[in-house]
Amino acid sequence: MNFFTRWVVNFAYFLNTSEAYQHKKRFVYDILENDKYQYKKYFDIFMMILIFLSIAILIAEVKSEMNIYLRFFNVYVISFIFFIEYLLRFWISSSISEIIIYKSEHATALGREFYLHRALINALKAKLSFIFSFKAIIDLLAILPFFHELRLLRLFVLFRVFKLFRYTKNFQTFTSVFSTKKFEFFILLMFSSIVIFVSSVLVYVMEAENPKSPINTLFDAVYWSIVTIATVGYGDIVPVTTEGRTVAIFVIIAGVSVLAFTTSIVVSAFTEKLDEIKEIKTIDNIRKLKHFYLICGYESVAQEVVKKLKDSNTSIIVLDEDIQRVESAKKDGLIAVNYDPGDIESYKKIGIDIDVQVKSILCLRESDIENVYTTLTVRAISKNVNIISLLMDDANRNKLKFAGANEILYPKGIVGMISKELIGRPVAFEVIHALRNDYYGVDVEEILVDDRMSQNILYVSELNNSKFRVILLGIYKKETKRFFFNPLDSTLLESGDYLLAIGNSAFMREFEKYLHKKIRK
Amino acid sequence: MKNRAALIFGYNDYALEIAKNVTDEYDNVYLYSLNSEQDILKNRSCFEVKSFDLSDRWDDLNENIDIQNSIAFCVLEDSAENIFLTISLRSSFANLNIIALSNNKQTANKLQMAGANKVIPLVQTTAEMISEMLQKPIVKDVFHKILFESGALKIAQVKINDSNDYIGKTISDIDWSKRYGVMVLAIVNEDMSSEFIYSSKIKHHIIDKDNMFIVVGYEQDIKEFEKITGSICD
Repeated sequence: MNFFTRWVVNFAYFLNTSEAYQHKKRFVYDILENDKYQYKKYFDIFMMILIFLSIAILIAEVKSEMNIYLRFFNVYVISFIFFIEYLLRFWISSSISEIIIYKSEHATALGREFYLHRALINALKAKLSFIFSFKAIIDLLAILPFFHELRLLRLFVLFRVFKLFRYTKNFQTFTSVFSTKKFEFFILLMFSSIVIFVSSVLVYVMEAENPKSPINTLFDAVYWSIVTIATVGYGDIVPVTTEGRTVAIFVIIAGVSVLAFTTSIVVSAFTEKLDEIKEIKTIDNIRKLKHFYLICGYESVAQEVVKKLKDSNTSIIVLDEDIQRVESAKKDGLIAVNYDPGDIESYKKIGIDIDVQVKSILCLRESDIENVYTTLTVRAISKNVNIISLLMDDANRNKLKFAGANEILYPKGIVGMISKELIGRPVAFEVIHALRNDYYGVDVEEILVDDRMSQNILYVSELNNSKFRVILLGIYKKETKRFFFNPLDSTLLESGDYLLAIGNSAFMREFEKYLHKKIRK
Repeated sequence: MKNRAALIFGYNDYALEIAKNVTDEYDNVYLYSLNSEQDILKNRSCFEVKSFDLSDRWDDLNENIDIQNSIAFCVLEDSAENIFLTISLRSSFANLNIIALSNNKQTANKLQMAGANKVIPLVQTTAEMISEMLQKPIVKDVFHKILFESGALKIAQVKINDSNDYIGKTISDIDWSKRYGVMVLAIVNEDMSSEFIYSSKIKHHIIDKDNMFIVVGYEQDIKEFEKITGSICD
C-alpha cells in the first residue's frame, strides 16, 4: 500500500469514527429521509411552501411585471435552497469512506492487495446510481430555473411540483399504487400506441389530400387520433371523407375500450392496495401517539379490559396475528394492527418506541405459550416496560416470570380467593368491590403529591380532607415503597408520595382541585 | 350426623383452587365430577371426588349434608350444564348457598335467574383487576392485601350490640379513625342494604342496634373496636 492509499484509508477511518461528522450526517439523513424523525415534517412543510410559492410566482409572472425582489427570491433563493438540498441528498446517498474501509478490510482479510481505484470506482457507482435515480433527476430539473434567462428553462419550475412527491407520504402511496400495475399499464400503452399510430397514418392518407379536410399534416392526424381515442373529441379537427370517418368509428370503439381498461386498472389497483394504505395510515397514527397501552391478543379478557379502560385518557392499541380478532377490535372502535406480537419484526415495522410510548403491555392471549413468547419478545426489546400477563395454568407461572412479566394474573386463583372471601366476609367483600368499581358514587382515588403540592402542604394535618368529606385511607411513601394506613397528622408529605383517599366522586374532584390550587401563606 | 360441607361441582382447575381456599372453613370438601371414573383415577388432590349426573335427585346430599350451613360452587365448564345444575340444586334446596362461575354477562344473568346466590363473572373480574393494576396500582395493591393476603391490615364486619353507647348517635359525629385507629367504610342495615359512610345520604344516619360496620384497620385496633362496639361477625 503506497503512501497516498494509506492516507486515504486512514482518512476514511477518521471520518467513519468521527462522532461530530457522523452526528451531522445522521442529522441530515433524519431531516431528509427518516419519516420517524419528529422534525422531518417541518422541513417537508417548508419545502412544500417554497414549491407552491415558486409556482405562484411563475403564474403571476405570465401577465404582469414581477417585483424585482420576488423575482430574485424565486430565481436565486429558492433555487439555491433546492441546490443545497440536492447536495445534501448526494452526500447522504452513500458513504465513500465506508466503501473504502469495507474494500480495504475485505482485501486484508483475504490477504490480497488493496487497490484504491477499485474502491473509488465502487463509490462512484454508488453516487451515480443516486444521480440517475428518478427522484434525483427531478431534483436537478427543479434547480434549473436558476438559469432563468433561458426562457424555456422557466418551465422547469413545474418540475418542482414533482418534488412534492418527496415531501408528502400520500403522493408516495399514490405512486406505489400505480407501480403495482406496471405491466397492465404497459399493455395499455402498447395498445393505445398501436391504435394511435395506425389510425393517424390511415386518417392522414385518407384525408390529407382532400382540400376540405382540416387534417393537413401528420401532426394534425396524430393530434386528432389522440383526442378521439381519449374520448375527449374537441371537434376542432374532424375527418370529412367517408374513409376517414370509417377510421374514426374504429378509433372511437378502441377509445371506449382504452378508457374502460384504464378505469378497471386504476380501480383494481386501489382496491388491492386499500388495506395496505389503511394499514400504513394506522401505523402512522400509532407512531404519533405519545402514550398508549399495547394489548397483545384480543380475546374475551382483552375485550373486557378495553371496556374498563375506554374512559381513561390513554389510547389503546391492539396487536394480534389473527385477522378476525383484529377486525373485531376495529369494530369495537380500537386501533388494531394485524401483526404477530411474538415477532420482534412486528415492533420494528410498526416503528413504536416501547420505552417512550408504551405505558404497559398486556399479554392477554388465553394461551400461556403465546403469552410467554410475547413477553420474552417484548423483554428483548425493552428491559423497563411494564408487562402484565394472563396465566392460564399455574404450572407455567415460573416460565412467565422468567420471561420477564412484571405482573401475572391467574384467573383460576382469583376465583379461589374470591370464594374464600365470599364464605368468610361476604358483606365486606361486596363493600370493597363496590368501592373499587365506583358504585353508589363513592370512589377511591390515588392522588399524586407533586412538587408544587409538597411545597404548599407539608403535613397530613394541612390536607383539610375532612372539609371535603374525604377520608384519607393512607399514604404510599415513595421512598420506602410502603403504605401507611391512617397516617398521623404530623406525617410529612413528600413529592412522589400517593394519597389514598375515599369519598364521594364529586367531593373528591373538588378536593383534588383544592390540593393543586392551595398556596402556603 | 349431617355435616357442614363445601360441595364443588365440576372437576377442573377452578374447582381445585376453590377447594384449596375453602377447606379450612368446612368439615368436608367434596368435588363432584360428571366423568367421575376418569377423574377419580387422575385425582392427585387431597379432596374426595364423587360422581353426579345432571338428572340427579340429590338424595345422597339430603341424607348426609347439613344443607342450611353448607355451600355449593357450580363451576362446570359448559355454561348450559352449569345453569342446569344451578336450577337443579335450587329446586331441590331452597336454603343452599349457591355460588356459580360465569364466563360472560349473558350466562351471569341466567345463573342469577336460575337461583345462584352469587355469581362470579370470571372474565369481568379479571378485566377489573387488570384495569385497576394499570390505573390505580396502589389501590389494587392495598385492597388486594387487605382482602386476600394475611398482612397486618385487615377488613372486618362488626355488628353493633344492643347495649352500645353509640346507638342513637349520628354517624358523622364520631371520628372513628382518631379514636380507635380504624376506618369505617360502610354501614350495612338490617335489610342488608349497604351504604358508604362517605355518601351524602348517610351523613345524618343514626346508629341502630342492627347495624353492621365494615371496618379496615390493624388487627389489634379492630379487636379493641370490637370490644367497645360489638362483635366481629367473621
